[in-house]
Amino acid sequence: MIVSKSFRWSDPRSITAMAAALSLVLSSQARSDEGVLDTLQVHGFLSQALVITDENNFFGPSSENEGSFKFTEIGANASLRPHEDVLLAAQVLSRRAGGDGSDARPALDYGVIDYQILSNQQRTFGIQLGRFKNPFGFYNQTRDVAFTRPSILLPQSIYFDRTRSLGLSADGASVYAEERFNSGIVRFKGGLGTPTTRDLATQLFPPDLDTQVGGETSSIAQLIYEHNNGRLTAAISAADVNLDINLGPSDGELNFQPWILSLQYDMGNWALTGEYAIRNLSLSGSGAIRGSDITGESWYIQYSRRFYDNWQWLIRYDSLVSDISDRSGSEYEMQGLGPAHSRFAEDITMGLQWNLNPRVLLAAEYHHIDGTGWLPLQDNPDPSETERRWNMLLFQLSLRF
Amino acid sequence: MVRLSALVLAAVMLLTGLSRASTPASAQGVNLVVVAHPDVTIHQLTRDTTRAIFAMRQRTWPDGQAVRVFVLNNNHPIHARFAKEQLAVYPHQLQLAWDRMVFSGTGQAPNRVRDQEEMRKRIANTPGAIGYLRREYLDDRVQVISME
Repeated sequence: MIVSKSFRWSDPRSITAMAAALSLVLSSQARSDEGVLDTLQVHGFLSQALVITDENNFFGPSSENEGSFKFTEIGANASLRPHEDVLLAAQVLSRRAGGDGSDARPALDYGVIDYQILSNQQRTFGIQLGRFKNPFGFYNQTRDVAFTRPSILLPQSIYFDRTRSLGLSADGASVYAEERFNSGIVRFKGGLGTPTTRDLATQLFPPDLDTQVGGETSSIAQLIYEHNNGRLTAAISAADVNLDINLGPSDGELNFQPWILSLQYDMGNWALTGEYAIRNLSLSGSGAIRGSDITGESWYIQYSRRFYDNWQWLIRYDSLVSDISDRSGSEYEMQGLGPAHSRFAEDITMGLQWNLNPRVLLAAEYHHIDGTGWLPLQDNPDPSETERRWNMLLFQLSLRF
Repeated sequence: MVRLSALVLAAVMLLTGLSRASTPASAQGVNLVVVAHPDVTIHQLTRDTTRAIFAMRQRTWPDGQAVRVFVLNNNHPIHARFAKEQLAVYPHQLQLAWDRMVFSGTGQAPNRVRDQEEMRKRIANTPGAIGYLRREYLDDRVQVISME
């Protein structure tokens, strides 16, 4: 079993891996006479948001004074093609979402060797080795890049922060295939590996418990059908994620099985998008780890419309239910586990984006929320002090190169 | 539930009000052609393959040679016309497809050129290159790729 670990500049294993990749690049470059360095590309992005809430905190002390600036995303990547069938690509990401400065330390977001074994007029087939981004729903693979999101925050019912590192990337191998038909394209992506578990312990469990979380072998797959040149896109994603949990002398196992059904009708200047997710989360263990088996449900529907070429507005309804056998959360509250409203969230979002030029994106959005189901624990350590109904206003500036 | 039905109603009103969606034309595209480096041995591409190549999902010519994609800036009128007429996508849809590849480690971005003069020059000088030009810019340093 491979033991997953988040990337740190001081982590000797990560440095060894990077050095190995680099020497591979350099040696193949020496062999090639076609100017491999011509294929080198470097891209990056930087986003800074201001989050203002009337009640509750989201990504920092957003309900105090003039709001929170603690939502920053910075990334840089490089890619190179040492051979016509081979792509090397790596990205480093620094993301701060409400924490103090230390959670923004750079981490290896992905680092892959991609070998495209087959590529002709009918089909493509390839394999990726290394740390790959999990194909999950429409947005997961680039969820931290503002330029690829329709709004500042992705629909939180599905893309919530609490388990983001579970779904983010994995260390292992993945395959991808594309088959072209007269009516459309079918694409498949599937991966096997150890999920990255960075900061997961504090996202899943109260920070004062000293919980250790480690990744076990997990799998993920996505099937996409693009009809009529992307006019209609349908996708189904599924994953089976396994984790080891240690809490002092107690051991446990966590199994996470989400399914997402995604649909988009895209006319070019307007699009209707919807996703439905059902997630099973089961925990088994000894001692202080309480066994549980909970199924949650999420869905959203979103209409986005472009105008004046560089502008877009959207409206979205987004719903999360943490436990479908207790939709209102009343049983949860009766058992004294916390307020009922922490078990669901209904979010109505209105957003506006302006591409000032290809490298600058300005965005603003308003959320009216009933429930705190996806509110980060880190920002609200005591759930009994949260308010059920709250409003949020966000502004974001994004740059890229 | 009241909030939900109000939202659905609003969405329906928007959809019906905005149903005059534009369909990318095809007939006027005749003076815009796909061009390639003269040594490329493939002389014809299917529309789907052309799309896959310009969307950066396919990295090689059907015979295995590495493909190098050149495009004008998103706001260049020729780029917009090529995207809409030949590929039947909007420039912002292509850009999103590129961003999703570049920032997920699954592909690279195309090479940008400033104008058609530069497009012709880069295609003539880069083995495996593909791009597009108006017919007026054609000369014997580049070859035309026909699309079925």
